[in-house]
Amino acid sequence: MKLSIPTVAASLLFWSALCSAEPAVTVRQLDLKQQPAGDAKAVATVTAGTVVDVMKREGAWVQLKAGGDTGWTKLFDIKTGSGSVAPAAKSSGMSGIAQTLNLASGKRDSSVTTGVRGLDAEMLKKAQPNEQEVTTLAGYASTPDQAQAFAKAGKLTPRTVELLKAAEPPKGAPTK
Amino acid sequence: MTTRSIDRFSLASFALLLPIACATPDNGPMTGKDLASAVLGGYSIGGISLGAAAGAAKNANEAYREIPQDEEVEIGRSVSAGLLGAAPLTVNALQQNYVNSVGMWLALQSGRPGLPWHFGIIEAPTVNAFATPGGNVFVTRGLVERCASEAELAGVLAHEIAHVVQKHQLNDIRKNAKKGLMLDLASLKSGGLSGDAARAFARVGLEGYVRGLSREDELEADRIGVVIAARAGYEPYGLVSVLQTLQSMGQDDSALAFFLKTHPSPSDRLAALEVVMPPSFEQLTKPNPALARYAPAFNRTRK
Repeated sequence: MKLSIPTVAASLLFWSALCSAEPAVTVRQLDLKQQPAGDAKAVATVTAGTVVDVMKREGAWVQLKAGGDTGWTKLFDIKTGSGSVAPAAKSSGMSGIAQTLNLASGKRDSSVTTGVRGLDAEMLKKAQPNEQEVTTLAGYASTPDQAQAFAKAGKLTPRTVELLKAAEPPKGAPTK
Repeated sequence: MTTRSIDRFSLASFALLLPIACATPDNGPMTGKDLASAVLGGYSIGGISLGAAAGAAKNANEAYREIPQDEEVEIGRSVSAGLLGAAPLTVNALQQNYVNSVGMWLALQSGRPGLPWHFGIIEAPTVNAFATPGGNVFVTRGLVERCASEAELAGVLAHEIAHVVQKHQLNDIRKNAKKGLMLDLASLKSGGLSGDAARAFARVGLEGYVRGLSREDELEADRIGVVIAARAGYEPYGLVSVLQTLQSMGQDDSALAFFLKTHPSPSDRLAALEVVMPPSFEQLTKPNPALARYAPAFNRTRK
């Protein structure tokens, strides 16, 4: 890959964007916890529709900064900054804030990838088979034994987990 | 009696009624692999082309046939060649090996541990991931760069593994391939697909990536994927984290444009996962310092 100044600038912007906080809206009222644990002490209560900063994620938990308070809540308690307004935010009249959020995240993201051409429909339609790369791909393969050793080094232990059943679609929900 | 066995039975009795000793048609494709069409080709009775009739009967039969694993692998190889023709692998053996270690470990916990699994990072700055029939899984560099941890990478790979286990792409290819193409699989017995058949499968497979799978297939792969990751010892919220990251990028981000055209929105997928992921999953998320190995391999500075 050739390194051009725009590429370097784009990746610097990309990394700085990743390292800075990511905006989100709370979708329900929640208690911010001191630690990522259900029985941890609550440091603050945050109402639904509050704009927060996501500091980091850990398992089912996410660390937020809301006003002057920092603490942990569940991943599904927030909707990360995007175009649409969280349902709870809608009902509490937060569309103005959500809109601001949308603009903010849109600005950040467009600065990262504007002009970047990736793998798209056109490239897939025009592609000519590359057999050499299929051989290269096979050369990187891991054997089951190697994968076991890798798992052991990562302290990954297999466990029994039941499959998840599909939820019943709500009545009148669109099928597509 | 099932529909499938009726088809087989009627095709067999139909073939028996026909003269076996006959000349090779002058310009018909004589592969010697497809006995029915070779024997029948070029003959007609009462204006009805027997070759076409037998072909239709065989195609009907083909629609119900279970594709053996070696044929599925061969289709996957062809589609992979096409995909890698659009975007090659990144040149980074450390990361390629890492992705194969995580991927194979996950695949060993899946419903099809014995497939010849291959995993690859492809050179594209945009966000996407692809699976082919037979166990080839690809993630773009743009998506890997947005995975903040090994558990997040595992969430993405497990989703793709679930597509392979459920044969989503294989079924899509069968549905969209021209009738005769599936019959070309017979040539496998003499070793590998013909160049033409391989190119045709690549085309159908790549068209499938442009069309995208159904929402149902995607949500099913999400549900199965989080379970595969959890079974492999990863915390099950890796995929949820990645989907939140993509959701936060916004709909106008050009790195997401093609991905959003071919997948349900991250918000839709997150809402569906929230409904089905039980609270008990929160007990499967103990911090694992051994997975800090991810950051140096993928130049991650973010916690």
